[in-house]
Amino acid sequence: MHYSPPLSLHSFPRAIVHIDGDAFFASCEQARNPSFKGKPLITGKERGIASSLSYEAKACGVTRGMRLSEIKKLCPHVIILPSDYETYSLLSKRLFEIVKRYTNEVEEYSIDECFADLTGMRRPLRMNYTQIAERIQKDLSVELGFTFSVGLGPNKIIAKIGSKWKKPAGLTVIPARKIHLYLENLPVDKVWGIGTQTSAYLNKNKVFTALEFARLHEGWVKKKLTKPFREIWQELNGHFVLPLETKEKEGYASIQKVKTFTPPSSDPIYVFSQLSKNVENACMKARRYKLEAKRLYFFLKTQDFNYQGAEIRLNRPSAFPNEIIGLIRPLFNEIFNHNSQYRATGVCLFKLKPQGSLQLDLFGEALRIDKFRKIFESVDAIRQKYGKHTVCLGSSYLANQTSQRLNERGDLSERSKALLPGETMRKRLGVPMFLGELV
Amino acid sequence: MKSKRMPSYQEIMKLTGFRSKNAVFKLINKLIQAELIEKDSQGRIIPKKMYGKTKVLGVVEAGFPSPAEEELLDTMSLDEYLISNKEATFILQVSGNSMIDAGIMPKDLVLVERTNEAKPGDIVIAEVDGKWTMKYLRQKGDQMYLESANKKYPPIYPKEELKISAVVKAVIRKY
Repeated sequence: MHYSPPLSLHSFPRAIVHIDGDAFFASCEQARNPSFKGKPLITGKERGIASSLSYEAKACGVTRGMRLSEIKKLCPHVIILPSDYETYSLLSKRLFEIVKRYTNEVEEYSIDECFADLTGMRRPLRMNYTQIAERIQKDLSVELGFTFSVGLGPNKIIAKIGSKWKKPAGLTVIPARKIHLYLENLPVDKVWGIGTQTSAYLNKNKVFTALEFARLHEGWVKKKLTKPFREIWQELNGHFVLPLETKEKEGYASIQKVKTFTPPSSDPIYVFSQLSKNVENACMKARRYKLEAKRLYFFLKTQDFNYQGAEIRLNRPSAFPNEIIGLIRPLFNEIFNHNSQYRATGVCLFKLKPQGSLQLDLFGEALRIDKFRKIFESVDAIRQKYGKHTVCLGSSYLANQTSQRLNERGDLSERSKALLPGETMRKRLGVPMFLGELV
Repeated sequence: MKSKRMPSYQEIMKLTGFRSKNAVFKLINKLIQAELIEKDSQGRIIPKKMYGKTKVLGVVEAGFPSPAEEELLDTMSLDEYLISNKEATFILQVSGNSMIDAGIMPKDLVLVERTNEAKPGDIVIAEVDGKWTMKYLRQKGDQMYLESANKKYPPIYPKEELKISAVVKAVIRKY
């Protein structure tokens, strides 16, 4: 074997950790109910597919997105649970809070993973970077009750390679001068941010591993690749380029609401009510952030995973569902095919702008909008007080009815089935609960 | 005020003795800036923070400042009182009466803290055969075991490792 020189001579010019929950949703369920421990378990019952799977389920050959019927054949003893996003979100918040004990520079990347910048924390914490990473990992598993995988590296890309290196409960420390050892056998498409298009292009240029990519000439990279990939190339070489986005989310670039319903339906009124409910929810979120959309698209998804949809441009920004639904309805009627079975609808509001001041116009439009604004301020206030579904548009009524029927189908989360005195279906204590038998 | 509405520009001129509506306009702009009043869609003035929002913390004796606000800085919420490590705290609803002599009744809620530093004498939540159990943690020599607070239940000596998940920190009972 020929000598493979390191890509960098440093160890940790910056120290970034990436922390990733091991089978997060399934682990949340197993940690609160000891009868689920060590058993194959999946969440996502209400969607009809596996959205998270325990390591025991993975060992049976179950994969994400697999249909329940298929899973039952593969793994007859599997425990199938409806998702409990309330509990998962409570625990996700705790994940970030625990990491923030060690540094305040934390990027909440998704519900079950985050990046943290430990640079400069060695002296105040009286530990080296590896020890800090170990402590974070230990706090998380002791206090939340399940394991996390941690990667420590000189930047985000390398930290992410580290957290994936050994799962579950792994801790992988990659100083810059050892990066090349980890990239040697790593297919280039396994690097965070490199998709199928880019990896196919790189493969054509005889670049198959992450190390081959990292060793490309700077000139070639600059000439042939776009900025995001040049940045990845720099990070693979041990430089710190991608900053942590530590600011709390103030606004959104887009707001998307998609919902799968079971059983599938070919009833246009019912499918439209599902779409209408998504529009209402998306608008509600937009109003909460004082945003209005200039454009939107909606889509219908059939049982055989075909998508049909349309994009709409608004003549002025809006976050009022009654206006938007009026625009969607004729297009929906065009797209809807009575011979298809639909299983999901979705809407995405984009080109979001801050709720602007009203411009006066000739046709009294401003007055009308002002009136809507007042109506929806009241609607939002009522929902805040009495629950999200107390007031809805007539067109969403059917969809809201079915969410009430979830109970009868057994799709309610374990937590909602264990309501405490004084709790309601709409409002529960913000503290996660131990479930299962107590003897 | 008799007519239960805010005065018009004209009326304000009379009240203040201003000679022009422009002066009233300037006064109103200052009051709007101070967020005391605002304008409705017709441009008429309406009250904003003039009523109802002031917090009354105590009665001020003439000449002495109210101590109420400062004193309140040293109080804690019920949450803070009951919960010490927020990230590790979970709730559990009690069933059964094995801890009845410790005053923990069926249906009570216990606040438990996940930790691996349980001490003998703590009431702990342990995992036994796929079920939770709530007992006193006891120690005899090197041996750790679980003891209920009810004479009807015998102590539990673990055959293998004792899996303690959490320690009970508070009990809540709502009537």
